[in-house]
Amino acid sequence: MNNNNTRTGKLIAIQDSLVKARFYGNVIMGETANVIVDGKSLQAEVLQIIPDPKNADAGIVEMQVFEDLTGAQIGDQVEFTGKSLSVLLGPGLLTSIWDGLQNPLYKLGEQNAYLVPGMKAPALDEEKLWDFTPSVAVGDKVKGGDAIGTVPEGRLTHSILVPFNFGKCKVESIIEKSEVNITETVAVISDSQNTKHELKLAFRWAVKSPIPFKERAIPSKTISTGVRVIDLLAPVSYGGTVGNPGPFGAGKTVLQHSLCKYALADIIIMAACGERAGEAVEVFKDFAELEDPSTGDSLMNRMCIFGNTSSMPVAAREASVFIALTVGEYYRYQGYNVVLLADSTSRWAQALRERSGRQGDIPGPEAFPMDIPDQIKGMYQRAGADQGTGGSLTFIGTVSPAGGNFQEPVTQATMDATGGFWGLSQDRADAKKYPAIDPLSYTSSVYDSFISWDDRNKMLQTLYEANGIDQTISTIGLKKVPVEKYILYQKGLTIDFCVMQQNAFHKLDACTRPERLIIINEAVQKLIDSTINFAREDKEDEEVKELVKAKFDELRQWWKDWNTSAQSIDEMAVLPEKVEQFILQEEYTL
Amino acid sequence: MIRKEINRISEVGKALISVEGNPGVALNHVVELLEAGTNQSLSFAKAINITEDSTRFQVFNGTQGLSTQTKIRMHEVPLTAGFSYNMLGRSFDGIGDVADGGPEIIFEKQISTRLDTLNPTVRLVPKQPLWTGIPMIDVFNTLVKSQKIPIFAGPTEPYNRLLSQIAQGAQADVIIFAGIGLKFDEYHYFKEQLSQSGNIDKTIMFTHLAGDSQIKGLMLPDVALSVSREFADQGKDVLVLLTDMTNWSNILRNVANYQDQIPSLQGYPGSLYSELAKRYEVAADIEGAGSITIIGATTLESLEDPVPDNTGYITEGQFFLDNGKLKLARSLSRLKQQVNDTTRDDHRPIMTVMASLLADAEKAYEAAEVGAANDTFSQKLLRYREDFIANMEEPFGEPIELEAALDKCWDILKRHFEPTETGLSKKLIEQYWN
Repeated sequence: MNNNNTRTGKLIAIQDSLVKARFYGNVIMGETANVIVDGKSLQAEVLQIIPDPKNADAGIVEMQVFEDLTGAQIGDQVEFTGKSLSVLLGPGLLTSIWDGLQNPLYKLGEQNAYLVPGMKAPALDEEKLWDFTPSVAVGDKVKGGDAIGTVPEGRLTHSILVPFNFGKCKVESIIEKSEVNITETVAVISDSQNTKHELKLAFRWAVKSPIPFKERAIPSKTISTGVRVIDLLAPVSYGGTVGNPGPFGAGKTVLQHSLCKYALADIIIMAACGERAGEAVEVFKDFAELEDPSTGDSLMNRMCIFGNTSSMPVAAREASVFIALTVGEYYRYQGYNVVLLADSTSRWAQALRERSGRQGDIPGPEAFPMDIPDQIKGMYQRAGADQGTGGSLTFIGTVSPAGGNFQEPVTQATMDATGGFWGLSQDRADAKKYPAIDPLSYTSSVYDSFISWDDRNKMLQTLYEANGIDQTISTIGLKKVPVEKYILYQKGLTIDFCVMQQNAFHKLDACTRPERLIIINEAVQKLIDSTINFAREDKEDEEVKELVKAKFDELRQWWKDWNTSAQSIDEMAVLPEKVEQFILQEEYTL
Repeated sequence: MIRKEINRISEVGKALISVEGNPGVALNHVVELLEAGTNQSLSFAKAINITEDSTRFQVFNGTQGLSTQTKIRMHEVPLTAGFSYNMLGRSFDGIGDVADGGPEIIFEKQISTRLDTLNPTVRLVPKQPLWTGIPMIDVFNTLVKSQKIPIFAGPTEPYNRLLSQIAQGAQADVIIFAGIGLKFDEYHYFKEQLSQSGNIDKTIMFTHLAGDSQIKGLMLPDVALSVSREFADQGKDVLVLLTDMTNWSNILRNVANYQDQIPSLQGYPGSLYSELAKRYEVAADIEGAGSITIIGATTLESLEDPVPDNTGYITEGQFFLDNGKLKLARSLSRLKQQVNDTTRDDHRPIMTVMASLLADAEKAYEAAEVGAANDTFSQKLLRYREDFIANMEEPFGEPIELEAALDKCWDILKRHFEPTETGLSKKLIEQYWN
């Protein structure tokens, strides 16, 4: 990279967050620059370099600025940094809350209650001391990605890595076990050219350069998310990708919050990308008081949050998702299971749309950039499992389709890019059937599950058939539906009401772990397999149906109560028994 | 101070003017337009697009009557809004000038209208309910202090009546009325209602009437919200009534169009979402200070229109008004879960159960249209639906306290169903059914 830090330019055009500057000499595509407005330094990124029609010796650079440009004038100074947009990686990432450019929000809050342009603070605490234990000695050979030591970070062991772009190097010096902060040098290594490099606890990494896998593998182990409809029908594996589209009000946010609280993972990263600030605040203020399901610690200890909320500068929205991905990859490389929740990838795509519109690019469908499907695919591809490190990065992205229409470009591209697809249905949300994941509208490519594939298919089949009968009832009326079909319909209704629907705000019902799922599955399978024959010689069909409905109503009420009360193993075991009794009750069987 | 002046306008269009060259104006800074010869002030304008070859301005009072000889005087500051407690009880236009014919106001201070984002860390998680006395809101979609929520309604629905009804019972220190593209009778209606309910002395009205300059309408929310924010920063609980944001979005669309921006959907600029979000996100409960609650109105033909669609993703729910009724199915308060678990223990379950039954009833209603709802339970659902619409979805009438509203819910269920048909737990049935 160019180390000349004095390369400058001057603004010649300003509109919203897009500027043009004239420069002499060299500019690197994608590098960052600082625009000096009223003495404040505002971060910008180079998007395009074009010739200057007025001046053959100069060039024009087009840049997006990550902060509000009010007060900027023609002739304002631009300073090129030679470095692309990067994220600081090191101990202290967990529990942090940043804006979309990794400025820590609590530190900024000490300066001003409002985010005013030009405010800055170090991404990671520079004073905090970490207990460093070296794992290499002088003379050892190391290369990019190798650990030179560790520090404890909460319950995790955080490996201090040689930056990934380093080739074969030799350790020239390394400190003893001691307390150091992230600005101190802990080791010196020399590369094959004999150039010496100082290593610290933290280093910067360009967000658009994916951190490599050691040995990429197919995601194979299912995550317990605690959400029944997901874990039973549309499970996601460690290292998998899921798109979660839904119209507004269909429950994306509540689902994201449930995943944040209950998904079993070492680390949860939340990229609040262009969404409501209040929702991110709820996560870092209220969730801090909740327990991590695997450790019992505060939930915040396993989290970090990038809050580029909807009123923050649009240009930083694109950056926020890449920054979050890079942090996820970093922890994956350390061997941890990371779940990244990006809410919402549509806002990210819209940021690209706003920018390309201003740049005057020829628009694709719905004015999105032509290459938006490729960009989305590229983003999801950064998730994955690494059997070399044992870590994984799972990427769950919400999609906010315009008009709730799944045919729009971002939803379509996401369906194409992801292994799983949790479509939220407006009809189910209107009926307050939450989570509103349509059990009949999703895809999932997994290689493992908590219940057998046959059981899962039978469950689905029942839901399918019940749905078909439901439609028949709505079009030709219940009278025309035979009793046998009506019983099947009631079975489907029961599975939907008692299993697929779940109360995210009830402390017991909100999260279902595999051991409980297996018991539920046993009951469901019993219900599906049962043949219930009704004595009908003295009864009209309609009477029988009413009787059937009343019985099933009773079962459903009982089952719902079980969902919110059964806690001990004994209490849980009652469910399959109850279903068995229900099937065998003599008064209405032959 | 002598202000720099520019003597030649090179281009005059709809709402926009340009000058050639670079006079040294900064982005978003304000200039004043003066009539050549008399130096009479015609309007203010804001620099929105600057290059070394030309500078473009949005003209607050419109461009009608401007000539190439109109003088431009530079003010070298962004648009500010005047702030004073003396503004209470008064009316202003979209840029904060007195508009009720009353005396000029001596402002205590000038405040920035840039609407910087509040640092999320100083936001409090909203936990305080705002009771409206409307069962459809209090029981099913409880309103919470610092919420941002619009009323979605067709243009002929009584959305302004609902807005004003909610405002009348509002537990707020200050009410900021922000009206964009209003008809005069709508403005008059609000003023009457606020006066009759005795709230006028704590209200400031910012009004842009249909036909007024578009740029003033475009600026209005920023001015009104900046003033709201100043009150909140001083510890006040502020309620902002924002009507109608569809008018505002249409002005945004027009101006983007005059600027030759590439449209995304239905002619709206790609930035519609961000522009709406920037305004609605001002709603907040601020640590160590006051709060801002925003209740808006968004008129629509269809929920899929870009304005309601984008708004729905930004706001914390919506109240959906249809045929004069507040519809349960499409209404949502996203913050209700923050407050409805500390009310009566039947509040949450009964809300869920009634909604679920109503959804079934809607299906039965559709089936009935083709003669397919002929079984006993469907008939029950149809009667329940009728009862619900008449007695629960009616937003206008005497205010009802929460407990009474919950009792009313039980009465409706009892009129139509057997206990097990409701899906309510045994415990609640035992406690409330008889």
